[in-house]
Amino acid sequence: MTKPDFAALQDALAPGALLTGEAQLAAYSYDGASARGRPEAVALPRSAEEVRRVVELCRRRGIPYVARGAGTNLSGGSVPLRGGVVLCLARLDRILRIDTSALCAVVEPGVVNLKLQEELERTGHYYAPDPSSFRVSTIGGNIAENSGGPRCLKYGVTTDHVLALEAVMPGGELARFSAEDAGPELMSLLVGSEGTLGVVTKAWLRILPLPAAVRTVLAGFPSVEAAVRCVSALIAAGVVPRALEALDRATVATVSAYRKAGYPDTEAVLLIEMDGSAESTAREAAEVERLLAVHGASEVRSAEQAEDRERLWEGRRGAYAACARLAPNVLVEDGVVPRDRLPEVVRRIRDISARHGIQPALLFHAGDGNIHPNIAYDERDPEQTRRVKAAGQEMLRACVELGGSLSGEHGIGTEKREAMRWLHAPRALRLFRDIKAAIDPEGLANPGKMWPDEDSGEEPLARPPRPLSAQARLLAEKVKACAGQGRPMAVRGSGSRWKGVPPDCAELATARLDAVLDWDQGNYTITVEAGVSARSLRAELASQGFHLRLPELGGSLGGILATKAWPGLREDVLGARLILADGEVVDLGGKVVKNVAGYDVPRLVLGSWGTLGVIVDVTLRLHSSPVELRAPGEPRPFAAGTWQRRVKAAFDPRNLLNPWFCAQP
Amino acid sequence: MTLQLKRLLTDLGEKSSYDAASQCCRCGYCEQACPTYVVTGDETRSARGRNQLVRLLMEQKLADPASARDGLDTCLLCGACTAACYAQVATADIVLEGRRMLSAEPHRLARALTWLMAEHRELLGLLLKAANLAKRLGLTALARPVLRLIGLPGLALAEEHVQEAPLTFLHEILRRRPPAADPQWLYFAACGSDFLYPRVGEATVAVLEALRGEGDFMDNGCCGLLAYNYGDAADARAAARRNIARFEAAGGQGPVVGDCSSCVAFLKSYPQLFLSEPDWRKRAERFAAAVRDVPEVLAAAPLPGARLPATTCHDSCRACHGQGLKDEARAAVRRLAGASYRELAESDMCCGGAGAYAFRNPALSDDLVRRKASRIAATGARLAVASGTSCLIQLAQGLKKYYPECEVVHISELAARALAQGDIDGTQAGA
Repeated sequence: MTKPDFAALQDALAPGALLTGEAQLAAYSYDGASARGRPEAVALPRSAEEVRRVVELCRRRGIPYVARGAGTNLSGGSVPLRGGVVLCLARLDRILRIDTSALCAVVEPGVVNLKLQEELERTGHYYAPDPSSFRVSTIGGNIAENSGGPRCLKYGVTTDHVLALEAVMPGGELARFSAEDAGPELMSLLVGSEGTLGVVTKAWLRILPLPAAVRTVLAGFPSVEAAVRCVSALIAAGVVPRALEALDRATVATVSAYRKAGYPDTEAVLLIEMDGSAESTAREAAEVERLLAVHGASEVRSAEQAEDRERLWEGRRGAYAACARLAPNVLVEDGVVPRDRLPEVVRRIRDISARHGIQPALLFHAGDGNIHPNIAYDERDPEQTRRVKAAGQEMLRACVELGGSLSGEHGIGTEKREAMRWLHAPRALRLFRDIKAAIDPEGLANPGKMWPDEDSGEEPLARPPRPLSAQARLLAEKVKACAGQGRPMAVRGSGSRWKGVPPDCAELATARLDAVLDWDQGNYTITVEAGVSARSLRAELASQGFHLRLPELGGSLGGILATKAWPGLREDVLGARLILADGEVVDLGGKVVKNVAGYDVPRLVLGSWGTLGVIVDVTLRLHSSPVELRAPGEPRPFAAGTWQRRVKAAFDPRNLLNPWFCAQP
Repeated sequence: MTLQLKRLLTDLGEKSSYDAASQCCRCGYCEQACPTYVVTGDETRSARGRNQLVRLLMEQKLADPASARDGLDTCLLCGACTAACYAQVATADIVLEGRRMLSAEPHRLARALTWLMAEHRELLGLLLKAANLAKRLGLTALARPVLRLIGLPGLALAEEHVQEAPLTFLHEILRRRPPAADPQWLYFAACGSDFLYPRVGEATVAVLEALRGEGDFMDNGCCGLLAYNYGDAADARAAARRNIARFEAAGGQGPVVGDCSSCVAFLKSYPQLFLSEPDWRKRAERFAAAVRDVPEVLAAAPLPGARLPATTCHDSCRACHGQGLKDEARAAVRRLAGASYRELAESDMCCGGAGAYAFRNPALSDDLVRRKASRIAATGARLAVASGTSCLIQLAQGLKKYYPECEVVHISELAARALAQGDIDGTQAGA
């Protein structure tokens, strides 16, 4: 940065909001992970307008910038790798409105999660996402990372609780995105984008009434494997606790050294929490205690009063922070696998640890299949650091090999960029880069994060790609052929929402993509092709006691998703496979209920009306109980706005798929 | 050259200052505990930031070490971060090591004051009396240049904050007491009680007599905290040696009761000053084990209920964070005030007094006391209780400014008042 850059920055900010001293810059060169990068200036704005001015100035002058909140990121995502400006949003910390009748809270990004919870509690409400850092981390950071937390087992991760966002986009424009917008879900794209697409300046969040009853159960197990097997059994039995956490002996010992948690002296501990009405909670608790007994649990304790429950939670809450007692640094990995693969991943982690001579303490959001091996080390010892990092990477690789993902809630940041190659094929990585380039052509918003550099070589995927059905392969070949000829295409499902195919377009019919590819009853997920009839799928699932949160709607499942005919399905979309406009296939998301490895494309395509790609199949989360839902009115086609056109350009630069939506005016 | 301790006594055992600073894993869980971070949102002024700055200083990775000064100087040394930290990283001690690295010379004022407070209390008393007399005569403007002239510009500033101006000091009053035949306690007069609030010390002594029987004034010197925080650690060590020796001369039996939580916390930390002197370390450990803060004494004692207006309790940092006395003061005040007791939000957040902090960082200190006053106002209390003398100074002027309906008293005063009332009314020990 040059002298005029600093002067301009000073002008853009209120007095006292710009830090440039060496020590001050050093204090913004780290987060909770191990990466370092020193900024050239730190801006501490108090208003969205100041944020906008800084972003605009950065764009004009070509200065990179990184937005951050409390800097508790665990993947190096908030470290300014390329210098420039740190936009620290900690002072944008006002809770603007709490509307209990609309169940909505409007907050600035610097509001600390706990402060929001405290305010909501006064009104008898709460905000579901509760990352372990909730006492200090900010809502803005939670949104950027799509944070989870113990409660997200039942209530979903941050993206499921965001209703709308106001953000300063890389061009310096203030934009608003809502889950209710027609067209591709740009709001979902921003959530979990790790600050690479825009800076959130205001968030509308969904809040929930506090449950009438909560019950917490703690149980000891003779082995970690036994504990996680019990977890799978609980889920398979259709019990939906709001939290289902597991700790191994090493973790319990670490916490107990600091705070007497009073946990059983067993190889593993499960912490299970149910909420709801008094009756349903008691019923679930009885079922849980029955299953615990069946699966060899010992020393089962149960608590209902807030104080007693808090005591049971104390050990779990401190588990990560307590590792700080063991050594100066803690590497906390964040792998995620389908729940039923937990015993296997535990075995693999043990092998890897033995090979590298390390002793991780294991901590799981077991209900989500999310595992945090905590490895204490001292970064001042390069040899030890190398071993720990290598082991960490191997653990992530094992998660991917077992059908999981690199990150459940901490993000990719800098630490897992290279590992993205194991999870995503080059075409998918290119798609992420293209989306980034379309929204942020100058590449100034948090550069150097989330995926590996393009020219840094290739590595084979850690698990083989899923084979396409014959029908899907045919469709992909057709798209490729059309793309070769530059011929426009029209995607058509069952024809229930949209019928006509313009004469100049080749028809891409998905109706014959009608296979159920994988119905994992133990894991409560299903992967189905897009042409499957929603009605028959519902009926088939219901006959076995499984439920989709989908009202009585006709047409194909793909059609419902592409037209957003039932927006509520958004919360249950875990993964999607798309044929892109060039005929290439990308497979994003998967069978895991938490996944923050890359942009949330499966949600982005909701409401895209076939303009971004052809949905081949989707993976959905299933439920053990039906919910009465009222079918909505007709879905609205969208008129493409600036951002939708930009995203379209990333997916389909020649506008070949359903081209009339984005025709030049 | 200012002396660094180089080694610290941490919750994880004895460590080099560098290892102690490196123990911070940057999880950031302390951030919302740090008052200066909460009011500024500035990482440089957070506990985690300060630990990183000291570590960088020690690793000689800052080309401009002086740029770390603001971060380190704005630390309140309240210790709330350590209490929130699972590794109990001793940020306050680490920050002080950093400050010592930055100052080639110990603070002149701090050295002078320590010299007066530790070894020449009569002279200090004389100077203060002159200033206080001037103040009483409305000659505040005159007192200030006198204090500046004698090398006490900080005290000149402090003088503006202090609402009271005693003409008789506590040690003069207590020296007139006849020695006890069988002393059950030793009273350690904190400088704040001695020179600013003799009424606090008198109350403490009255409380001790009522609860524990007869005892003696230790006729101590300064605890050394001022030198430790702002001056030369060697001076602090010298002060500690004198007090330990005096304790031993008085029979070496405790408890030693002090009535400023900051001083008491420091007395309890004396062993850390003698890590390289095994004999003195043992003597310091024996001494530290005998030291008690007033809230500790009261928590276990039978106390009568008193007729009080709405009363709330501010946790002095060095009691709740420095000594881990999280509930003692509150428990005592609750019993004393009964139904008049009001719970205070953020009761364990520093009021911004923090010794000389209010004079050195007036703007930040004012932000903090305003926040504290607004929390007190929210309880509707007419009486706020604290156990540190610098809290008394800070809250007296802060409440006067932002919530004048409320006055602040030391917990000893409240207890003394109740015990006296209890005698008169025949009130039984409170529930």
